[in-house]
Formats: sequence, C-alpha cells, structure tokens
Amino acid sequence: MALPKRIIKETERLMAEPVPGISAIPHEDNLRYFDVEIHGPASSPYEGGIFKLELFLPEDYPMTAPKIRFLTKIFHPNVDKLGRICLDVLKNNWSPALQIRTILLSIQALLGAPNPDDPLADDVAKHWKADEQAAIEKAREWTRTYAQPQPQPAS
Amino acid sequence: MAKIPRNFRLLEELEKGEKGLGAEACSYGLEDSEDLLMSNWNGTILGPPHSVHENRIYSLKMHCGDAYPDQPPTIQFISQINLPAVNPRNGVVDPKMLPCLAQWKRENTMETILIELRRYMAAPANKKLQQPPEGSTYE
Repeated sequence: MALPKRIIKETERLMAEPVPGISAIPHEDNLRYFDVEIHGPASSPYEGGIFKLELFLPEDYPMTAPKIRFLTKIFHPNVDKLGRICLDVLKNNWSPALQIRTILLSIQALLGAPNPDDPLADDVAKHWKADEQAAIEKAREWTRTYAQPQPQPAS
Repeated sequence: MAKIPRNFRLLEELEKGEKGLGAEACSYGLEDSEDLLMSNWNGTILGPPHSVHENRIYSLKMHCGDAYPDQPPTIQFISQINLPAVNPRNGVVDPKMLPCLAQWKRENTMETILIELRRYMAAPANKKLQQPPEGSTYE
C-alpha cells in the first residue's frame, strides 16, 4: 500500500534538515518504522549518552500518536523498564498538528527535565524525590554503562 | 495496512495480557519484566470443563524469536500433560499438529495459541486421555 503523503513529507524533511542531536531513519522494508537516536542534552545526567529508540507510525497516524520506546536502558522517572515513555503529547495531548520531529524534541526535552511528579517508573521516581543527587548520579552511571556510542564497523 | 513491527506488537500483547482484557481461561506475561527484547513469556491455561483437565492449571513457556510475528513462537509445556501434539519427554508442542501454528498468520497472537490449545485439550479425542499426576513438571 502507498505511504501517505504526510509521512513521505515528514521523512524527507527529517533527512534533509535533521534536528541537532536527533536522527530518525526509516527501515527500508517498513517505512513507518524508524530507528531513532537521541543525544543526551548538555548539562543533564544523560549528557554524552546516545540513546536508541524505535518509533512506529500506526495505520491511523496522524490521527493517533506515533508509538515510541527506548531501546537503550535509561534511569529516568518517566521511562519504564521496557523503555515506554510517559509523555502527555504521546497520550491525551496528541494532536495531528504535531509531527515526528516535535515528538522527538519533546523526548529530548524530557531528558533535560525529568518529571518525578508524573512518573511511569515508580521506583525511579521515589528514588528521585527522596535523594535527587543520588538519583542523578545513578542516571549518569547508567548513561556511561548503557548509552555509549557503538564503534562503527570498519568500512 | 501498516505492518506493525515485532516490538510494538509484543507491547500490545503485553498490555492486553496485563489488563486482563483477554480470555479468562488463559493468561500470559513476560518471564522477566525488564527484558527489553521481550522474547520469553509465561502462559497458563485453565483446564477446560468436562474433560480430564478440569480444575487443573497448566503452565507453559513461549519464546518469540526475532522473526515474530512473521513466524510463530515456540511453545513448551512446563506442566506435564498427555496430548498427541506435545512431546512427552520435554513438553514441546509440535507446531505441525496445531492448526494455528501450522498455518500461522501474522494476526495470530500468543492468546490465539493458548485458546486453541485449550480447545484442543477439550477435543473429543483428547479430553479423556489419561494424565500425569497434577502438578508434575518436565525437567
């Protein structure tokens, strides 16, 4: 089946004018399925990390939000152990006026501003509220352990 | 139709299983709730009524490989059971003997398989087969 024009346009723009610190590349065999990488924002516990995510545009996109989750382990109060993300614009506040680009920017912003008052990962949020410094240190440690750039295979 | 990728399909199945939206007589969930690859699952089947299986609870393991749902998962009983489609030594279900596995379709889910297995247990040819002691498991 032909890919809707809207998705083609968005994909072209993502490739032509990528957002700094974010890449999204569609799979050749499924143009609704993207490999995403987000660089941890500066002066956040995720700085220096490269986080892999996967994104899928469901049949009724843009009437429903993209589906997205982290593939890289991350210690963050709004991301659960399976990488699912708690973010208003992915749920009730989704609007067809939003795009893949805006969603990825929102996720990058969420890395810069964890919100333990609206948690998905209860244990992480508790840790965050009880001892923010220790939680931030743990987030840094996980970034160093799990979110390091993979060495590129020699070409 | 948009072709839903493996991981998002498994997340949907997980959410359905967690919310208990599926059939009451079967349940399933991730073996390890932190497994980002979501490969290994546990399932249970409540033995169908009016059969030797009535009131028994059967546990099984399901493995969804990289090619799921284009390829079916592998299914293995943990609880011992006597059924023609189940290997008596290790509990592995022979995919050739269960139609939903033999003629696998991408729309089939782990729930489809559990429900069909339960129906298979209640089939006239199988419902009176002598069974191992309740609660016994394969090695």
